[in-house]
Amino acid sequence: MTQANEKPDAPAAKIGVYICHCGGNISDHMDVEAVRRRAENLPGVTVARTNMFMCSDPGQEQIAEDLKNGTVNRVVVASCAPSLHEATFRGAIRRAGANPYIYEHANIREQVSWVHHGEAATEKAAVLVAAATAKAGRLKPLTPIRVPATRHATVIGAGVAGLSAARDLAARGIAVTLVEKSDALGGQLAALDRIAPTGDRAADLVNELAAAVLGHPGITVLTRTEVIATDGYIGNFKLTLRRRPPEGASTADARYVPFQGVRPPEPSDAPSGELTVETGAIILATGFRSYQPRPGEYGFGEFSPVITLPALVRKMAERPAKGRLLQIDGRPIRSVAMIHCVGSRQIPGIHPEDESGHLNEYCSRVCCTATLDAADRIRRNHPGTRVYELYRDIRTYGRGQEELYEQAARDGVVFLRFEADNAPQVTTAAPGEGFALKVKVADTLTFGETLEVPADLVVLATGMEPNDVSDLVEMMKLPVGMDRFLLEVHPKLRPVEMPVGGIFVAGTCQAPFDVTEACNTAGAAAVKAAALLADGQVELDPFVAEVDVDRCRGTGACVDACLNPGALALVEMEVGGRTVQRAQVTPALCLGCGACVAVCPENAIDVCGMTLGQYEAMVDAILET
Amino acid sequence: MTLLSPDFAEELKRYSDDTALACFNCGTCTAICPLIDGHFPRKMIRYVQIGAKERILENAPELWKCLHCGLCTQTCPREANPGELILGLKRLVISHWRKA
Repeated sequence: MTQANEKPDAPAAKIGVYICHCGGNISDHMDVEAVRRRAENLPGVTVARTNMFMCSDPGQEQIAEDLKNGTVNRVVVASCAPSLHEATFRGAIRRAGANPYIYEHANIREQVSWVHHGEAATEKAAVLVAAATAKAGRLKPLTPIRVPATRHATVIGAGVAGLSAARDLAARGIAVTLVEKSDALGGQLAALDRIAPTGDRAADLVNELAAAVLGHPGITVLTRTEVIATDGYIGNFKLTLRRRPPEGASTADARYVPFQGVRPPEPSDAPSGELTVETGAIILATGFRSYQPRPGEYGFGEFSPVITLPALVRKMAERPAKGRLLQIDGRPIRSVAMIHCVGSRQIPGIHPEDESGHLNEYCSRVCCTATLDAADRIRRNHPGTRVYELYRDIRTYGRGQEELYEQAARDGVVFLRFEADNAPQVTTAAPGEGFALKVKVADTLTFGETLEVPADLVVLATGMEPNDVSDLVEMMKLPVGMDRFLLEVHPKLRPVEMPVGGIFVAGTCQAPFDVTEACNTAGAAAVKAAALLADGQVELDPFVAEVDVDRCRGTGACVDACLNPGALALVEMEVGGRTVQRAQVTPALCLGCGACVAVCPENAIDVCGMTLGQYEAMVDAILET
Repeated sequence: MTLLSPDFAEELKRYSDDTALACFNCGTCTAICPLIDGHFPRKMIRYVQIGAKERILENAPELWKCLHCGLCTQTCPREANPGELILGLKRLVISHWRKA
């Protein structure tokens, strides 16, 4: 059932098939030469070659050579997954002066040699190559979609990641609007004291970054501002913001407020109310919030000496004092019990779900080092205060962190280890026991014996939860993981990218990160956004829907099925002297999903590079091979 | 159930070098100990580390099995000196003798 506009131009198509050994990854498990011989006899194939590594320079050169001397005008490479090297081979074709979309990929590694062996592998590879070849014969040269792009980026969230991203973007000459919900810059970093393991002062980092951002003429800082609507697409977003008026008097200078961050200057003519921003790229840096223990969780809310680690950090920083004993809220602390993994690594059936039915099954990654740092600080500054750490596992994974663990042990921190299903219990101590509380724990390091740790203070090492950005998720159609953090397209191949073009993530809205890691992702997002907007135009893959106006009868089924509002619409046009309604695609908005193709009763719409005719040819080839 | 004594480390200083916290519970001392007796001396070192004074006194007779051959101290990867700690615990137990 080949469509009229998709006549196989087999006589014109000269297909080259290139089969990769992958250094043995493929060729050790199948007869590559047999696959090549069978490919050679397929219709339209003018040459079939093999190479030890098709992705190598000589491998790519072979393709370029065949294209340049006219031996081939369609290319099939049978190798690894297209996610690895499709772009490589399209690039080779472009460099040879040909259209990169005359290319088809057959995956004979992940889908064949890594899972099948011997004759079965050879047979399957031959079938996949035949299918790819059949499709290649029907490929049309395509032109990438170019859309003008606004050389402006919007960063949402002014924590350490947002500040870093804004600074880096501005340094690349991209104008930036930095949107922050609260009235200060610095985010959760501002709530910290010193950053383990390096000992940098959080206040210094916040002040330095805020000064760089506020001092850059290319950055517009909007505190007390939320995004209330988004529109548009990559290179051409339009954001509607709402800005609350300032609460205090206008000020000309930025001001650092301890544990809150830097309040920018408030000129008397500062904008407020609804604002719109035209922007080419969006970086989400919406950050995390610290897990708030349930009432009664390890005695939290029940006994006042039970506090969270962020609360301890703040109390110690606000009243720094040396002395034999740590003092908290005016009470001398002879013994501290610190409990790890509070609100992290929760296990279904063991830990209760929160009111919205969620469990934080992930490790928050930063609490171990932060807890060890606080413990070590207590031991060093207050040698009379004993510190017990009650943990499930210790994860001090980064540079300098294992050394901190070692140092805490050397400084006399005592470690007790509990099982998740037998968690410590915090109770009040008996009047004669001399301590405020005691923590009962079955300690696996003491051969499972049940111990009671006397404590004047219990510190809960609370984990990270993503901030609630459900409004942005809804507006921008962003993917969210089971853990409620935003999901990048691929952690290795396309880090910090959202599947919606032109939207990136930075920092802890994506996963629990420490400050270093948050800054790394912010840098990555800034560079990707800057690279995207550098030319003032954006090139998009042409794999979008295309309407065959001759077949279209204007039923509108495709418009109803379309997943991205604005990508498809019915427009009036003149056909044969009559004004009729026909479907029209806005390529920059089309996701290429094919929902329209499936519903069109006339087969009048197709996705370029993945047409029904091409798929039918592939299926025929599979059946015939 | 054992209530820990946070000040036990201080108390023990009168009887022994304060090396127990260097221990990371690897068990090399027990593996090398010729007594082949339960978890000796690892468990005792752990009791010292966490301040489980009651448990040390309850299990005091175990201490007198030790022959002070010194293998545990020689092989300890953390130089926690388990042999010396056992000797120190003997001194502690003797000083508590008849007080109980």
